[in-house]
Amino acid sequence: MKSEKIYNAWKERKSQIDIRENFADEVMNQIYQYERDKRRPLFDVQRLIELISAHRFVKAGVVTAGAAAGLVRIIFVVYAFLAC
Amino acid sequence: MTQETQIIHQVLEGDIESFRLIVEMYERPIVRMIRNIISNRESCEDIAQNVFFTAYRKLATFDPARSNFSTWLFTIARNKSINAMRKKRPVSMSELPHNSDEHNPSDELAERELFNELDVGLEALPSAQKRAFIFAVFENLPYEEIAQIEGVRTGTIKSRINRAKKKLAKALKEIRYEK
Repeated sequence: MKSEKIYNAWKERKSQIDIRENFADEVMNQIYQYERDKRRPLFDVQRLIELISAHRFVKAGVVTAGAAAGLVRIIFVVYAFLAC
Repeated sequence: MTQETQIIHQVLEGDIESFRLIVEMYERPIVRMIRNIISNRESCEDIAQNVFFTAYRKLATFDPARSNFSTWLFTIARNKSINAMRKKRPVSMSELPHNSDEHNPSDELAERELFNELDVGLEALPSAQKRAFIFAVFENLPYEEIAQIEGVRTGTIKSRINRAKKKLAKALKEIRYEK
């Protein structure tokens, strides 16, 4: 095989390309997802609930904060009642 | 107004689906270019997807007066490939692509060996020379466009390509001499 022939065959092979059929679909899905995320409001209750229920520690944190707030409120009411 | 400029205009006006035409127009050259630069078949399509996604997000910054759309897109792909090269591990011989046609087993074997040696030669080139060679030889881009992508003068690109070709020719001669 002559050098030039080898080089041209190699070039030909390097120029061939197979890509997955759904390549463009995957790019477009990523773009549509990006656009959906962009349009979501900054404070989204549904998203907040999803976030809380998805993580165990976040759930525990929310319950603890709620309990602490309740306790503070009870103490405040008792203090106000005794002060009267 | 070129067809691309028209599509870009439509996308910027809110017709997102028109961007699919851009993806379909450039998916093959972009994936091929990345594959030849990073020599990793698995991740090149993911990097290419990221190139198109970045292009979509930054489409408003594209200025047709400064460059062709293809130059702009290839520049994004070049930068992403360089970043991927920094992160990736060295490529082993077995990972380099090889021809899988089976015509004549002995010819096939010899040809595959020569191709592998050329792949190794290409891989061994300094990265700037390698990229210039890939843009010119596999993507058939004009020297001026390659110079714009690389951000250097046309003369620099010419000399990088010549040096790359000389090194590959030398590697090919050495292989043939050894055999």
